[in-house]
Amino acid sequence: MADVDGARRALEDALGTSEVLSDPLALALYARDASMVEGGCALVAFPREPEHIAACVRIAAEHGLPIVPRGAGTGLAGGATPIGDALVVCTTKMDRILDLRPRDRLAWVQPGVVTLDLVGAAAPHGLTFAPDPSSQQSCTIGGNVATNAGGAHCLAHGVTSNHVLALDLVLSDGRIERLGSEGPVGAGYDLRAVVVGSEGTLGIVAAVCVRLIPLPEEVRTFLLDFDTVEDCAATVSAVIAAGVVPAAMEMMDRGIVAAVEAFAHAGYPTDADAVLLVEVEGAEGAIGPQARAVESAARAHRVRTVRQASDERDRALLWKGRRSAFGALGTIAPHYAIHDVVVPRTHLVDAVAGLYEIARRHAITLTCVLHAGDGNLHPHLHFDAREPGARERVLAASEEIVRLAVSLGGSISGEHGVGLDKRGFLPLVLSEDDLAAQACVRSAFDPDGRMNPKKLLPSETRCVELTPTPQDRSEARWS
Amino acid sequence: MELIHPHTKGDVIDVVREANAAAHRLLPVGGRQHMDKGNPYEVDAELWTTQLDRLVTYEPAEMVAVVEAGMRVGELNAILARDAQEWPSDAPEEATVGGTIAADAQSPRRLRVGRVADSVLEAEIVAGDGRFVRSGARTVKNVAGYDLHRLCAGSLGTLGVLVQVALKLRPIPELRRTLHVPGSLLVGERLLQGVPAAAAVLATPGEVEVRLEGWRDEVERQTEAAREVAPGLEAVDGGPFPAHRAWAEEPVLVEAAVPASAIGTVTEVAGDRWGALLGVGLVWIGLEDPGDALAEVRARVTEVGGIAPVVRGPGGLGDAPLPARDVHARLKAALDPNGVLAPGRFWGGL
Repeated sequence: MADVDGARRALEDALGTSEVLSDPLALALYARDASMVEGGCALVAFPREPEHIAACVRIAAEHGLPIVPRGAGTGLAGGATPIGDALVVCTTKMDRILDLRPRDRLAWVQPGVVTLDLVGAAAPHGLTFAPDPSSQQSCTIGGNVATNAGGAHCLAHGVTSNHVLALDLVLSDGRIERLGSEGPVGAGYDLRAVVVGSEGTLGIVAAVCVRLIPLPEEVRTFLLDFDTVEDCAATVSAVIAAGVVPAAMEMMDRGIVAAVEAFAHAGYPTDADAVLLVEVEGAEGAIGPQARAVESAARAHRVRTVRQASDERDRALLWKGRRSAFGALGTIAPHYAIHDVVVPRTHLVDAVAGLYEIARRHAITLTCVLHAGDGNLHPHLHFDAREPGARERVLAASEEIVRLAVSLGGSISGEHGVGLDKRGFLPLVLSEDDLAAQACVRSAFDPDGRMNPKKLLPSETRCVELTPTPQDRSEARWS
Repeated sequence: MELIHPHTKGDVIDVVREANAAAHRLLPVGGRQHMDKGNPYEVDAELWTTQLDRLVTYEPAEMVAVVEAGMRVGELNAILARDAQEWPSDAPEEATVGGTIAADAQSPRRLRVGRVADSVLEAEIVAGDGRFVRSGARTVKNVAGYDLHRLCAGSLGTLGVLVQVALKLRPIPELRRTLHVPGSLLVGERLLQGVPAAAAVLATPGEVEVRLEGWRDEVERQTEAAREVAPGLEAVDGGPFPAHRAWAEEPVLVEAAVPASAIGTVTEVAGDRWGALLGVGLVWIGLEDPGDALAEVRARVTEVGGIAPVVRGPGGLGDAPLPARDVHARLKAALDPNGVLAPGRFWGGL
């Protein structure tokens, strides 16, 4: 039985009274993240040092509370949504850049550092942190690590996992271990690699060593528009097939463009069926050939206009359109659900056609924005929750969207994560044995299941050992 | 020593299950290019993956290839080259894809192409208990579950047998060029500053090799930038990189991994046969024998928080402490409960 009062007193002793919240308003505020799932919690704590996190973990264990780590709460899959009597450990006050070492092209940061603040701190050294989720102005590095965050620019640079060299992890017994290394390889299994993307289920990240990469010497941004979604998607494949990997290839459909244009006035053509924002970057001399390849692929697929950003202001405006997409959508209907699925990029056309068909069948307005180069789709289902049956229709369509992606050889989530939202879908892509192996990873880190329980894996998943049957023994090679 | 040559994934499952039943120890073997990496160990049989060498799917516009783990690196890159793509491991042609991943072989172009493990999008493994396990997806982004396949990369075959992988590929650059510059670490550091987007800056005791790759104009301009640092450089288009590997001629080859800024403290005690990847922190050191010289290198590497495994010849992995040792032990126990896969070969005697 959870002893919430005892836990609160112990936390106040360890962290200070002002760093522990238990009033109803605070508990309501921290009962959810940016997903649609509503949860509940018993206490919220704000550590300022790794030792504070360790204290939170120990106190939660001693008093029988499950523990849920949280950054800025921008997650869309419910990974930071607490359940039951949880202690929410919010790392936003751990927001210091501890050590930025340009010569090693790395930085140690606390988990609560806002992603864009790190980018800003690295820039004067000619370096940058590549992952750029749309929420980069508010999301934290700790959250980026927990979700293995992506963004528009992972086409060329990879996801968060490729940019985390090491991390200090508070394990479920309160110990702090450094996983990974500042050097190119460390000793042992690459535990760092499974912690990235583990949604707080393996421990709480107390510090992160991120890789910084040189800023590109040049960047050029194009806006292409097409009469059909098919031509737009085919252009994406054609660019890659031509041996060019742009920094980003972002696709938006007609519905998104209309909403964005009314909001951001970025000059997007509202009469096109699809627009493609392409950014190429590199050292001096690398831009021309890439730009020519992009333009020629687009012309071969009947592009209507090719607009090149004339200067940095124009470029920022084009990106404002893309980055404000989520915010602009409130104008279509009172509510919307954002999805995140991924398919092999050559199946984008089938995927988009399938999405519209699903929406039509369920009488839902659907708009779509895609990290097209990665095959990562973010369909939005627009609805009015007050309308009877609307929520149910959205849920039914949502499930079909996930199944569609899987049927095209894709996966249930490209970058938002599994959290609470999608754990029921994991069996679509992982077998019973696959899931059991996943559960083995979890219990290797957290044998008692204290860290963010009921997330990431389906609830019935267990780490079971397979032992050879008697039949196997009788046929054994060495028997 | 028995040599077993499974032809299918099903065969691999059978072999591993039988080994469990009979309490026999197995070593998964690919192209025998990384056999010395690891601590001393004994096995009863070798499981050769070389018959598992099919190309499963390859769609150039996806820039992803799915191959069985026993395919040779040379064969794979020959297939990919027809569509101007590569799997940039830079492992020997005779190495297998699975062996390269399991050994976490380091590319000299790592500054540009990253770690081999980063290119593994999906893997099928036969775990030490005979369980067939898949993780990842054939897409460049996927966050459905833990990246279990990342644990197998660099595991030296001690958690499972890699049988199939999906690999993220790269386009073959229009031009590759090596700049040869007299000098060593100091000039190398200046070249790295001057050409931050180089594919590699490799310093040796007497010469720096800078590898450039990319579009022709880009490489030309990077060459000019390098010339401002080193007017006397000699440029060679194409050709292997590195052009010279003096360290590889010695009986013992150490692969030290340290923070990039600590390279100089390692090379001080590395003798005169070494090559250091600046900006990366890898130092290959050739030694005559694994005696005092190796101990000295390891002592120095430990001071700066690095590791120094021997990757060819005797000497083992070294005794760098394992982080979260209990987590390591539980992972090994969960995936290989009877300890049939090369027990003792890995770090910490796992």
